[in-house]
Amino acid sequence: MSVITRLGDGSRVEMTREQIMADIQDGTADAADMGGMPALSSEDMERICEIICDRNRIVGVEPGNEVVLTYDIGQLDFTGDNGNSGNGVDMGRLEAALLHERALGSDTFELAHADYSIKPVKPIIANEMQTMEEIQNEIVIPYFYGAMPNMGLYYAPDGPYGNPADLMREFKLEESFAASEAASEHMARDIEYVSTRMVKAGADGFNFDTTASAGDADFVGTLKGVEALRKACPDTYINVGMAGESVMGIHGSIEYDGQTVAGLYPHQQVKLAQKAGASVFGPVCNTNTSKSLAWNLSRAVTFIKTCVDEAEIPCHVNMGMGVGGIPMCETPPIDAVTRCSKAMVEIAHVDGI
Amino acid sequence: MPRGANPNAARKGGTTQEKTKMSFDNEKKSLHDALVSCKIPDIDKAVQDAKAAGMPANEIIDTLGDAMSDVGVMFERGKLFLPHVLSAANGMKKAMDLLGPELAASDASGGASRGTVVMGTVEGDVHDIGKSICSTMLQCAGFEVHDMGRDVPTPKFIEEVKGGCDFCGMSALMTTTMTVMKDIIDNLEKEGLRDKVTVMVGGAPITQAYCEKIGADIYGESASETTRKAKELTA
Repeated sequence: MSVITRLGDGSRVEMTREQIMADIQDGTADAADMGGMPALSSEDMERICEIICDRNRIVGVEPGNEVVLTYDIGQLDFTGDNGNSGNGVDMGRLEAALLHERALGSDTFELAHADYSIKPVKPIIANEMQTMEEIQNEIVIPYFYGAMPNMGLYYAPDGPYGNPADLMREFKLEESFAASEAASEHMARDIEYVSTRMVKAGADGFNFDTTASAGDADFVGTLKGVEALRKACPDTYINVGMAGESVMGIHGSIEYDGQTVAGLYPHQQVKLAQKAGASVFGPVCNTNTSKSLAWNLSRAVTFIKTCVDEAEIPCHVNMGMGVGGIPMCETPPIDAVTRCSKAMVEIAHVDGI
Repeated sequence: MPRGANPNAARKGGTTQEKTKMSFDNEKKSLHDALVSCKIPDIDKAVQDAKAAGMPANEIIDTLGDAMSDVGVMFERGKLFLPHVLSAANGMKKAMDLLGPELAASDASGGASRGTVVMGTVEGDVHDIGKSICSTMLQCAGFEVHDMGRDVPTPKFIEEVKGGCDFCGMSALMTTTMTVMKDIIDNLEKEGLRDKVTVMVGGAPITQAYCEKIGADIYGESASETTRKAKELTA
């Protein structure tokens, strides 16, 4: 008997239960090999197979297994329509926050600027602080400030430092390393400036979204920024969400607390995040568009389960377009989204999504 | 033991022929280990030592080439990173420079480019890390790469292809900019250039299905996969 399931690009595909099980075995083996971690047990693999083969279009967790649901990117998931998975529905930031709280069941939400990056917020910090105060007067759920560290904005042509992508093509490795290190320090200073002011304006916490998108120096700069925020605001809530499953080695040997960060996987990243002072970690596992949902989900659950097992802080896994086993397409299919979410909660035991 | 064989040969290191072979095995291992370490001074030293031991230049380069493939695999597996690959490639380039005259004598085609590649992130899209990694990987694999950067206007792609190239690589990170790839392919067709160039596409939202839908030739899930597919076409 065949099951209608998905490929990583979202297209429908029919597979037999045996084919699904074979992909689940391959997926977990790939994660175990890449990350140097245990593969899933046969019971866990059977459970994933059951979830994927469920005849219902939408699946959900059993009562009592509900987890915290939070959202990144602020109001932009409604307002944005420029390639960032938004819906193109224009509304103010207050309305978007209240809609998430009162209609969508968000357990936390955040204020975000249209550029959603640390650097552009710096010159408009006073406006952001004022908006934070105003919305805090209306909203009940924990309300954070969110932004991507986005170290790419510190490199030419957007910033003052040479672009490693250009320098490496010219084999100027030393200059590339120096540019990465300088940009990382600069970004850490900006993170401290922006985050401490937003917390002082009433933010319940700060969400660092898409951390390490510009590679290992971006990760180190963010961790140093987290350290500074934790020192200045000991009681604030800090969420460090990642950009990808592995930290890209654009520098290759930059360290945090004596450890080279390039190539670290979620179960290793979380240890540095908690050391820096994060309250919650957002691990990521990327989707391969050429593989099946079964392969991607099994691989993602393997990474995230080990991360949760080794973490001392709660893990809220990133689940959406192209991450967490979910297909990479503009509107991820609900059958795949709910299956992946259920597996993450009931097998990887994540604390939130 | 064959009649006439020296009973102490094994203890002393074997016959001249065996000794030479064993010695080259050692050199090969040193060359391989040095290249995989991605440390230019170590690669330099291993090449100098191999040359001094009498190892033929083409064998030295072949050994380094095999090691470079291992570096590529380690890069793909996330065990090595772009700066490491570049250091290894730089070490190999220095070896080619050092052994150049000897190589030229033994192989007239030594050092020839695999082909010319024009690369760019399409107009409206400023994401270029993946595309830049891909450019560098292609360069390391022996292609001549002209990287136009990011947010490249469509006419610029057409102009570059008109100027002559074997591959045209396009990257996009956003679902709203990936459609520009199709515009570029349509323009190439309009200009009668489509059949003269192999079109490669990549980037987070791009899939094999999309590649086929817009009529591109190569989809690369990663920089390594793109490089491998381009190499296969030029093999």
